[in-house]
Amino acid sequence: MRLGLVSADVLPSLSAVASAWWNLAIDPDLWRNAAASLYRGGAGLALAIVVGGALGIAMAWWRPVNALASPLVEMLYPMPKSALIPVTVLWLGFGDGSKILLIFLGCMLPVTLGAFNGARSCEQALVWSARSMGASRLNVLWDVVVPSALPELLNGIRTALALSFILLVSSELIVARAGLGYLIGFLGEGGVYDAMFAVVLMVAFLGFFADRVYMLAASRVLRWRD
Amino acid sequence: MIQIEGVSHTYRTTDGRDIPALEGVSLEVREREFIALLGPSGCGKSTLLYLIGGFLPIASGSVRVHGTPVTGPGPDRGVVFQHFALFPWKTVLGNVLYGLEKLGVPRDVREKRAREFIDMVGLTGFEESYPSHLSGGMKQRAALARTLAIDPKVLLMDEPFGALDAQTRSLMQAELLAIWHRSPKTVIFVTHDVQEAVYLAQRVFVMSARPGKIKAVVETSFERSDPHIFKSKAFVDKVDEIWGLVRDEAMKAQKGRPF
Amino acid sequence: MARLIWRVAPWAVVLALAAAWEIFAASGAVTPFMLPRLSVVLERIRADGASGELWQNLAYTLYRSFAGFFIAGALGIPLGILIGRNRAVRWLFDPLISVGFPMPKIAFLPIVTLWLGFHDVSKITMVVLDASFPVVTAAIAGTMSVERELLWSARNCGARGAALLREVVLPAALPQIFTGLQVALPIALIVAIVAEMKMGGVGLGGAMITATRFADSPGVFAGIVEIAVAGYVLVKLMAVLRRRLLLWHPEALAPATV
Repeated sequence: MRLGLVSADVLPSLSAVASAWWNLAIDPDLWRNAAASLYRGGAGLALAIVVGGALGIAMAWWRPVNALASPLVEMLYPMPKSALIPVTVLWLGFGDGSKILLIFLGCMLPVTLGAFNGARSCEQALVWSARSMGASRLNVLWDVVVPSALPELLNGIRTALALSFILLVSSELIVARAGLGYLIGFLGEGGVYDAMFAVVLMVAFLGFFADRVYMLAASRVLRWRD
Repeated sequence: MIQIEGVSHTYRTTDGRDIPALEGVSLEVREREFIALLGPSGCGKSTLLYLIGGFLPIASGSVRVHGTPVTGPGPDRGVVFQHFALFPWKTVLGNVLYGLEKLGVPRDVREKRAREFIDMVGLTGFEESYPSHLSGGMKQRAALARTLAIDPKVLLMDEPFGALDAQTRSLMQAELLAIWHRSPKTVIFVTHDVQEAVYLAQRVFVMSARPGKIKAVVETSFERSDPHIFKSKAFVDKVDEIWGLVRDEAMKAQKGRPF
Repeated sequence: MARLIWRVAPWAVVLALAAAWEIFAASGAVTPFMLPRLSVVLERIRADGASGELWQNLAYTLYRSFAGFFIAGALGIPLGILIGRNRAVRWLFDPLISVGFPMPKIAFLPIVTLWLGFHDVSKITMVVLDASFPVVTAAIAGTMSVERELLWSARNCGARGAALLREVVLPAALPQIFTGLQVALPIALIVAIVAEMKMGGVGLGGAMITATRFADSPGVFAGIVEIAVAGYVLVKLMAVLRRRLLLWHPEALAPATV
């Protein structure tokens, strides 16, 4: 990389990127943007998990809910979620609201589908066992259906987690006034390429670590398997 | 006492056809009696068990347990399923505790009682194991402990040893008999294994191929503690007699199947 | 009768939703800017179709998505099989894939733009970068799960080397590989649209971002409907293709799902 085959602008050396990152790190600006991104991603994802999980389990448990919701899920699931970026901006502007709404809408369906498939795969014999031991129907929903759905639900949430990063970064790249995606675009347009590379790598590794930590936590929750 | 009168049941397949599973079944099981429901696969014997369990709606006929018509599942009728139906996310102890919790047994009594039953089925030391770490035989012991712990008056067993290997199966059969002798309950045991039915039950109800009806009721009485019972003339003759009844039905059931 | 109701219900729900959109937007509870009436949006799509603008945008977006998708498949499937079959290749690529897979590749968009400019090449490169991971991981998983007994009996019949890969490993791994492709296709569309939104110009994404800048809300909603329909059709086509290709697979008998 130091051979001069490419211009240092186009591919800054690793040491230049590292020192650029350090210069950013001692400036609160980086952390302000990181906090904005974290807040948006966290809030959107949390909403998606709560609403999507509840919807998926309700779809598996009550047939009318399924009849109402499944055509919409089937129709909207294949939609490229990035198409929603302009609408959320139209509705809620350039700030946090539009990002949270986007991530919520985009991440909800994988969670719903995971919860739905998981709850539907719940064995009849488990439900009957619980009922014959005196569990009410509502008990069964909480004690049997929800834990049965957990492996697939957690898988759906993993997809949603990856999706939340994609949606967060792309929406911030395209329209935002804060956030790590915004910072990348800002630095790039200003020609500060070593700093831009630093933030890009930071975002990429944040995504990687989020996934790893999530997998670790999920395997703890599912340690009863095999 | 269990009284079943004129029970019929029809299944609706996913493509909308109606398949009669049971037709006009009537039978009576006495208090603390061990009976077997024997028949070829698809004869509706499990369906009958599920009707008694209250899992399926009773469309025609009536099922009474101790005089009360069955309207749904309840802890007076404990069930043991072929594939164990243990909660995979609970430990052995957690599984056995579940039914006691639902019965409202106080916490300290609950734990003691659960450990007693785990001990009874020989799973001491595996209280904290998850079902996925147990062998088939151990899973079925755990399931048995879970069901027995809530002390149901009636025990409904749906081919409980069908998924086990031959050695484990015969061990479990002997243990089930020993448990039943210690605390007799009314047991309805579904199986397609003639020898198992003759060995375990006091009366064997032979069912016909679909739609299931009671074809014959055979009384059996042996000294079951005799280790050589399987070779005794009386036992072999009984098995032959019942096998003769079942074979025709099994062949009928095979017809109209792809393989 | 009951079955007929369950069959009709999905369409009824979709129609009801369309009607609700129209009525809600016309009721004055929200401004036409926030939610234009469905009829206005459909009229806009018709006008765009008549002027040819819609087809041009659609063609560009699909071209970029498909070019990237096919390159991802052409690179990803052989690479995945190779990684699955060869320990040395696996050792080399495994860390790369396990780090790269969970990364939000979209963050590299500005870097790719910096290197390759604003033209199609950088958009297609972004699509390849994002869409190849699910294909590679599916091909690895599919290859590694081919039963030993199947390989042994094929060897017994005299299959060797490339023939073994082509005639046994590839078909046996195909269900999983196809699943990977089914995951990759919507990703290809997402990335192509984001790249267009960021860089502007011709394409469904570019048209939508232009509409946003000019506060042209019928244009934005027309874009959403167009993209949703395109995504739906493509995903359904993949499901049909899967059933055709995997006729021997038990799941081909089951009804196609999402």
